[in-house]
Amino acid sequence: MQERSHYLKIRGNCGNFSTMKVALAQISPHLGSLKKNLDIHLQTIEKAKKKNADLLIFPELSLTGYTLMDMVSEVSLIPEKDPIFKKLKAESQELSLVVGFVEEMDKGLFYNSAAFLSGGKILHVHRKVFLPTFGMFDEARFYAQGKNFHTFPTPFGKAGMMICRDFLSYGASYLLFAGGAEIIIVLSAAPGRGTAQAEAYETSQMWEIMGEAISRFSTVFLVYCNRVGFEDGKHFAGGSFIFNPAGEMIARAKYIDQDFLLYEIDMNEVREIRKKWPYKRDDKPEIILEALKRTVSKYED
Amino acid sequence: MKINEPFVEKVLTAFIKEELNKFNFKKGIFGLSGGLDSTVCAFLVSKALKSTNTIALILPYGKSFSEDVKDAQETSRRLGLKSRTIDISPMVDAYYSRFPTKNRIEMGNKMARERMSILYDHSSREKALILGTSNKTELLLGYGTIHGDMACAINPLGDLYKTQIRQLALHLGVPDKIMKKSPSAGLWEGQTDEKELGLNYDDIDQILFLLVDKRMPKKDIIASGFKTEAIDKIIRLMKNSEFKRKLPPIPKISSRTIGHDFLYPYDWDR
Repeated sequence: MQERSHYLKIRGNCGNFSTMKVALAQISPHLGSLKKNLDIHLQTIEKAKKKNADLLIFPELSLTGYTLMDMVSEVSLIPEKDPIFKKLKAESQELSLVVGFVEEMDKGLFYNSAAFLSGGKILHVHRKVFLPTFGMFDEARFYAQGKNFHTFPTPFGKAGMMICRDFLSYGASYLLFAGGAEIIIVLSAAPGRGTAQAEAYETSQMWEIMGEAISRFSTVFLVYCNRVGFEDGKHFAGGSFIFNPAGEMIARAKYIDQDFLLYEIDMNEVREIRKKWPYKRDDKPEIILEALKRTVSKYED
Repeated sequence: MKINEPFVEKVLTAFIKEELNKFNFKKGIFGLSGGLDSTVCAFLVSKALKSTNTIALILPYGKSFSEDVKDAQETSRRLGLKSRTIDISPMVDAYYSRFPTKNRIEMGNKMARERMSILYDHSSREKALILGTSNKTELLLGYGTIHGDMACAINPLGDLYKTQIRQLALHLGVPDKIMKKSPSAGLWEGQTDEKELGLNYDDIDQILFLLVDKRMPKKDIIASGFKTEAIDKIIRLMKNSEFKRKLPPIPKISSRTIGHDFLYPYDWDR
């Protein structure tokens, strides 16, 4: 175990070993059962280990299920103190993990959160900023709103995370791009709508369009992990995918069915594509920042 | 309005399987009238579950609707379902011998609730989950008996308009004879939905689709060629039947009240 985490550390520091195996766990969590969901996580981790995955990503609220409503406070976790996280942290000695959960931060504030675990530690927690509250969605009623989009170093390069609706705001992706992300990870619990097509819900296309645009114009790897299964008749659409920094879809999981997607990526492609398409070099965050301040200052109360 | 039939079939069969699994049922049970909706339900259930785990109850009132009963029996035979035909006339007649009426709607509603009662009793005896067969058109218009044919545990067909059910039926291979039947609530013989509503289903569904799915304002629907009276009638039916689609209101007295701020999902801890 030690040897492997040591290897990861070296690999992160030099750049010679730039390939990594990413696994996406397109699962169907139980609604409101931490215990059953932890079992699903541990089984999937075993599977990913056998396949020598370096990074295993779970969908939004993978430890709890999505339609929690008043269960939010009942299934919330404090990662630093929680026995479930203790187990997951131990597992992350062997492979890095991304999980979705309800986080209690400060007393009585509950967030729809995602944690990146690696080398036995929590490297970063992202708290969902864009809480969909319209039509079939009611998140702002139950969750506190996250306030930031950070990038953070990982053994594979600089990463950024978003949760579901965050990813449909291109401003959020821009912040990760400006923050130097090389890989953007999106955890999702996106229900499908529209059944005019043969293979997938019409809304699956919306996520793929965003995946293509953001990966291509940010020249980053874009990894999107969606869940499947039904909750109160809502049908989560699956179709998890990986785009390379050239904006090409290189892997996609099944639509609507459970799946386990494993794909080897070469993080060095970020460097290679940026020689050809210098969007990152030519980015002008200072100008955008100042212009945005001027725009916002004109808003009426 | 157009659906992709194989995709919808896949979604609905997955839904039936998953819901049964979540609630620890192996068997599904439903009322089979011989009409289009319950026949489509039968076809879907037979694809989702083992035929021995699929129970169709055929519940005629005496000798009425004998053609439909024959069709229902033929469907369950063809699909290899477990089926049982139970005449509801002794129970219904026993009641009406004490409280006679000539009101056809009241009688039809009573019969629908008698069927519901038998369905729930058999659901318990057989340990089978009840599948509903109300389509989106009926649900929106309130064209069903509350606590009667509208009663169920899950409703696989509830987001498909009648015209979409027809599309799906064609794909599933529902026999021509059933496809061609005039849609009927079956409250009395000779009743057809279209006659009673004074509108045909294609128009009803188009208007509902524009109102509900597209949220189109009335004036724009009129501009697209539909009659004001038809639209008004549909809106009135929707408003007047909202009570059939909701739990009854509870006056809020405490700090946490069912239906107000006691908020848990149907699939709570499933």
